[in-house]
Amino acid sequence: MAEFSASVYQNEFLPDGGTDVNAIVTITCQGAGTAGQSGSGGAGEIIIVDTSGSMGPATMAAAKDAAQAALAEIVDGTWFAVIAGADRAMLAYPQVSSGPGMTKMDAQARQDASAAIGRFVGSGGTAISTWLDLAGQLFSSVTEITQRHVLLLTDGENRERPGRLDEAINRATGYYQADCRGAGTDWQVAEIRRIAQALLGTVDIIPSPAEMRAQFQDIMRKAMARGVADASLRVWTPQGAQVLFVRQVSPTVEDLSSRRTPVNPLTGDYPTGAWADESRDYHVAIRVPAKAIGQEQLAARVQLALGADVVTQGLVKATWSNNSELTTRIDQQVAHYTGQAELADAIQEGLAAKAAGDEATATTKLGRAVQLAAETGNDEATSKLRKVVDVDNEKEGTVRLKRTIEKADEMALDTASTKTTRIRKEPS
Amino acid sequence: MTCPSCGSTVPDSARFCESCGAQLGQPAVVPAAAGAPPPADHPLGDAPISAPTRKPVGFLADPPKAAGRRPCGECGGEVGPDLYCLACGTKAPSERDHFEEQPASWVAGVCDKAIGKSRNEDAMALLAGEAPGSRAVLVVLDGVSNSVDSDVASLAGARAAREVLRVPLPAGMGTPESRDAAVRKVFANAVAAANTAIVAVTDPDSPNPASATFSAAVLEGRRISWANIGDSRSYWIPDSGQPLQLSVDDSVAQEQIESGVAREVAETGPQAHAITKWLGRDAEDIVPSVGSREVEASGWLLTCSDGLWNYISAPEAMAAQVRATGTTTPLDLAQALVAFANASGGHDNITAALARVDVSDLGQNDRTPTPGGVPSDG
Ligand SMILES: [Zn+2]
Ligand SMILES: [Zn+2]
Repeated sequence: MAEFSASVYQNEFLPDGGTDVNAIVTITCQGAGTAGQSGSGGAGEIIIVDTSGSMGPATMAAAKDAAQAALAEIVDGTWFAVIAGADRAMLAYPQVSSGPGMTKMDAQARQDASAAIGRFVGSGGTAISTWLDLAGQLFSSVTEITQRHVLLLTDGENRERPGRLDEAINRATGYYQADCRGAGTDWQVAEIRRIAQALLGTVDIIPSPAEMRAQFQDIMRKAMARGVADASLRVWTPQGAQVLFVRQVSPTVEDLSSRRTPVNPLTGDYPTGAWADESRDYHVAIRVPAKAIGQEQLAARVQLALGADVVTQGLVKATWSNNSELTTRIDQQVAHYTGQAELADAIQEGLAAKAAGDEATATTKLGRAVQLAAETGNDEATSKLRKVVDVDNEKEGTVRLKRTIEKADEMALDTASTKTTRIRKEPS
Repeated sequence: MTCPSCGSTVPDSARFCESCGAQLGQPAVVPAAAGAPPPADHPLGDAPISAPTRKPVGFLADPPKAAGRRPCGECGGEVGPDLYCLACGTKAPSERDHFEEQPASWVAGVCDKAIGKSRNEDAMALLAGEAPGSRAVLVVLDGVSNSVDSDVASLAGARAAREVLRVPLPAGMGTPESRDAAVRKVFANAVAAANTAIVAVTDPDSPNPASATFSAAVLEGRRISWANIGDSRSYWIPDSGQPLQLSVDDSVAQEQIESGVAREVAETGPQAHAITKWLGRDAEDIVPSVGSREVEASGWLLTCSDGLWNYISAPEAMAAQVRATGTTTPLDLAQALVAFANASGGHDNITAALARVDVSDLGQNDRTPTPGGVPSDG
C-alpha cells in the first residue's frame, strides 16, 4: 500500500499589509508497487513508433530494437498494444479488427508483438493526431484499464493542417499519459513538448540511434513502477484568497495553474498523473487578504488526493509580523525554484528568439539563463548552455552566441530546459 | 495515548498534554488535605472539618466537557481536524489558548490567551452546584510569563486547588473566629495543593521555575469567602450600589497604594506588575490573605486575572463595564469582559470567572450555615 507524505517549505511571516504567500510543498510516495497490481484497476501500455518514410534505415532498425526491448519491460498481465504511426495510425499488435484493441502481456504475446514490430517498414508522412486518437480508442476498448500510458517515438515534424494536433491533444488530456521522444534533429521540440506537457509526460531528444534502446527501457521501467494511478494535487484556499499559480517545480517545471478542476468553491484539483516511489515539489503562490499583526491563518491546504481520498496534506500558513528579521527572509527552497522556473523560461525564450533571427534577445535571454543556472547550481543546464553560447562572465550573465551550433545540442538544451535540480532541505 | 482531560492524542512519553496542559501518566492530584483529617498535633486538628471518605454531601462534580470543537471565532465556519477554519483559514485557538467552563447555569468563566500574547499562562478551574446560589468555586491562576512551562503549571495548580475546594467550607466550632480559622486552613490547603502541583510539573533543573498567582472565591448561599496570593483578584459587583474589590494584591503597586500613592499612579508605574508573593518552586511565602463577607443584594462575584483588571482596575470601573453589558447570563458576561480586554489591547492573558447571585434564589435556609452544623449546599 502506497504511503504519501507532505512537507512544506516557506517563510510564513508577512509584513504589515503583506498578502502574497509562497511555499514549496514536497510530496513523497513510498511503496507504490507496480502499475496495474494495486487492485484498483488494470494498467495499459501503448508503444507508438513513427514508421513514416523519413525514418532512415539505421533509425528504423534502432527503433524496432528499442520497441522490442520496451516490450520486455512490460510486466505480464499488463494490457498493451503497438501502433505504427505514419500519415495514419495502424494497430500493429494485437492484429484485431473488432473487440478489445489491446491484449494482456504474456510470453506468447511478447513474442508475437516483437515479430510484428520486426515487420515495420518506413513509408508515408507524419500525422500525429491520428496516432494519439487511435491510442485513445484502444484504451477505451478495455474498460478495466484505469491507468493509461503511451510511449511515443517520432523523427519528424507533424504534417497536418494547423489545429488538428491540438484537438487530438485535448481529446487525450486527462485520459492517458505520454512520454515522448524525438529521434534525430528533424522534429520540433515545441510541438512534441506540447504533447508531453499536456499528457503529463517527459520529452527528450535521442540524438543517435545507439541510445534508443536504453531510453525505451528506462521509460517503460519507470512506467511500470507507477503503482499509484491517477492522483490529483488538491489545493484549498480560504474565502477571499486567490491562487496566483500552482507549479510543479521538480523533477521538471510544469505550470499547472490553468489545469485546475474545481472541487468546491474553495478547492481545486490539479492533475499529477500516476506515481512511482518518488518525490515531487510543487510551488504554490496564494494571495490572501492582509490581517492584523500577530494574526495567524492558513493560506492553503495542499493535499494529494486519490479519487475522493486525501492521502496527505501540507499546511501553508501566513502570520503577520512587525519583526522585519522574520518577514524579509526568503525561504531558500522558494528562491531556488523561482530561479529554476525563470531559467526554463529564459532558455526557451532565448532559443525561440534565436530561431526567429533576433540575436540580441537571444543573447540577453541565454545570458540570463547562464547566470541563473550557475546561481541555482543546475549543472546540466550549465553544460548544455555552454554548447550554445560562449560565456564571458557567468556571474554577470554576459555571453556570445556560438558561430556554429550543433542542432542536436540546441534541441537537447531546449528539451532539458524544464528539468530542475534540488537543494538540500531543512524543513521550515 | 489519549489525554484523559481533553481527549487529544499525545505521545506516550508525554508528561503533559500539549492541548490542555493536564498532567499525564498518573491520577489527578487529590491532596490528602482535602479528605483526610489533619494531623492531631495541628492547632486546628480537632476542628470539625468534615472528613468524608466517600462522595460527601455537597461534593461538586467537574464542569461538563465542551462537546466537539467550537465553530470558527472569525466566521462561524467549521474548524477542521488541522485546527484551522475550513472556510476562512483562521487558526482556531487550542483548548489551552481559549477555554470556557460553565459548571452550572449561574456560573461560568472564560480563560483566553489574548490577542497580544503567544501563549495562555492563565488558568481557571470552576465548580458549581446546580441550584442557583447554592455553591460555587472560582479558581484563577496567572502563570508568570518569563518562566518555563508556566502554562502547564498554572492549570495543574488551578485544578489541584479545585480538588481541595470540592467539598463545602467548614463551619468551625460555633464561633465566627473558629469558622474563619477553619476556612483559612482550607484555603491554605488549597494554595498548598496548587503549589505542590506547580512544583511537581516544574523541571527540577530549570533555572527559571514556573510560578503563578492564586485567587479563589467560594460562594455558599450569601457568604463569599476568598483567598489570594499575588495580583489576581476577586470583586463583588452588586447590580446597583457600591462595588468592592474583595482581595488585596500582593504587589509593589498595592504597597505603594497603602503608603498613599494614588491607585492610577501606582498601577501604571514601572513596578506596576511586580508581585511580592507567588506560587512555585522559588516561592517564599504561600500563606494566602483570606477574607469573607455576606452579600445582601443581587450581583456578580468575579474572579479575574490582571489581563482584565488592567483596563478597569477600580471597582467602580469594573462595575461600570459589567453593568454596561446588561446581561445576567454568566457565560455571556465572561465572554463580553474578555472581548473588552482584547479590544483594549489584549496585552496579557485574560481570565474572567463569574457567579451570578440573585437574592430571590436565596431562601432563609441559605443564610450563613449554622455554625457547627452540616454546611448547606442548597
Ligand atoms: Zn489534554
Ligand atoms: Zn472561519
